[in-house]
Amino acid sequence: MTDVVKRGTTMRRRERLQGAGMDLALPYLLLAPAVLIVLAVLVYPLWDGLRASLMFYRYGKPLDFVGLDNYIQLWTDPQFLNSLWVTVRFVFFSVALETILGLALALFCLREFYGIRILRTILIIPMVITPVVVAIVFRLIYASDAGMLTAFSEAMGGGQVQILGDPLKAFTGLVVLDVWEWTPLMFLILLAGLQSLPQEPFEAARVDGAGPWRTFVDHTLPMLRPVLAIAIVLRTIDAFGTFDQVFVLTRGGPGEATRLLPILGYEMAFKFQQTGYAAALFVTIGLIILAFALFAVRMLKRAGPDT
Amino acid sequence: MTPNWKLSLTRAAIFVLILGVVLLPIYWMVAASFKSNAEITQDATLYPHVWTFDNYIRLFSEKEFANYLVNSLVATVVSVVLALIAGSLGAYAIARFHLKYRLERKIGLSLLTLRIVPPVVILIPVYLLMLSLKLLDTWLGLIITYTAFNITFCVWMMESFFREIPVDLEEAAMVDGDSRFTAFRRIALPLAAPGLAATAIFAVIVTFNEFLFALALTATPRAMTMPRGTATLIGRIDTDWASMSAAGVLGALPIVVFALLVQRHLVRGLTMGAVK
Repeated sequence: MTDVVKRGTTMRRRERLQGAGMDLALPYLLLAPAVLIVLAVLVYPLWDGLRASLMFYRYGKPLDFVGLDNYIQLWTDPQFLNSLWVTVRFVFFSVALETILGLALALFCLREFYGIRILRTILIIPMVITPVVVAIVFRLIYASDAGMLTAFSEAMGGGQVQILGDPLKAFTGLVVLDVWEWTPLMFLILLAGLQSLPQEPFEAARVDGAGPWRTFVDHTLPMLRPVLAIAIVLRTIDAFGTFDQVFVLTRGGPGEATRLLPILGYEMAFKFQQTGYAAALFVTIGLIILAFALFAVRMLKRAGPDT
Repeated sequence: MTPNWKLSLTRAAIFVLILGVVLLPIYWMVAASFKSNAEITQDATLYPHVWTFDNYIRLFSEKEFANYLVNSLVATVVSVVLALIAGSLGAYAIARFHLKYRLERKIGLSLLTLRIVPPVVILIPVYLLMLSLKLLDTWLGLIITYTAFNITFCVWMMESFFREIPVDLEEAAMVDGDSRFTAFRRIALPLAAPGLAATAIFAVIVTFNEFLFALALTATPRAMTMPRGTATLIGRIDTDWASMSAAGVLGALPIVVFALLVQRHLVRGLTMGAVK
């Protein structure tokens, strides 16, 4: 009830603010530059990409309208299906590990202690450092002749360590890279979430004699769920578009072991000049992510009105 | 007393472990950038036995690293400034006005949806667009693309900052005779300055680091950005670890220094407003 009244007042207020004359055109003038640029550089290309995905290209020139042929071909193409599977596994393992580690780290830092500011500063570095350079850092770790792992192994009497030549190890290496780069983001979001939780339930739990694990499962986790969900959704969407790191670390190899969808799409478009087919692939990536985002928003809305 | 002491020790151990995991990989690259290739492959240790600056000197004399840096700075600064201007104007309209058919809300939601779609989805059509406009391998092509990407982000961020400012202040200014726009410029904009800074900082980092579109849209040192140049270089010198390390250090140094200087404002942008 009070909510309705309040909203009524703000609306009347806003209308009063709008004034008359030139001021009526003002909001449209304010919106125009942003909307026009976005229409030209983002929306038109989206439409154009959709159109290109329905065409057959040769040597970068559209030849025929082929309807949904590109999409049909895509979903029967073992290369695409493999890439999709690699991407799904990559996203799953990366985000799962980042969530678990990020949460553990946030719980660890919840109580103020000496050095926490240093820790927060240091943890910013992996997130802001250029992704291309992150890949260089990890090539210098994984390299069999000059890598850090080989150096450690040799110092302890072992031999060379091969990472990027083996499909499973290369894939694991890529997940490790992503976890190194993005766990700090999970940590920051979850720490802020933890710090904003009300204190009373925890005090009550302590009075009732609940141990730390029970408190975590019964109180922390349920109350943290909205923040946890947002963090996971943001990270998942982002991980789905991972390109730079793979491009520099492995180029998708060895074989197809780390060929994520964006890498496959890039190669289709620029190496093999299959513009229409690649466009269909990118549209498909977009649709998968949009579907996931809509699903996530639904789940969040059901979880509670205040999320 | 003993358990407490044990707890602090565990804490310290975890603390050191985290620092090590984050910093050691970066340190390894920095150390390698001061070593010769022979030393890197034959006797890799934690520190250079013989210090050399050749790797860096080579990058600047033979390779076009100075060019990359200039290109990056121009593309980043211009596109972020343009996006901030267009974005804050738009965000203000969305935050403060009621338009017909709730148009302002629909525009806001559309921009957010566009923000969610990863840029890679429109890679091909943007490339074709710049090809037809003859803007491949130019500053302008990069600037236009980055401005558009940044606008969706700026609108989304600035709208929430404007909403946090009480409307009463602008009303008071208008009662005192300000026009609607003057009230925005004199009252709302200065109050949103911290938001503007946070938005700019995050946009700068993302734009400076952008690689995929730089890869597709640029081809020569005339327009190549820092990440693009670095990636090309290491593509050519597959096993020249020393040069690769130096290129990595130079590629990341400007943005890491920048981020550490402004870290106070960073968190909100990084989490897309999920955390204030």
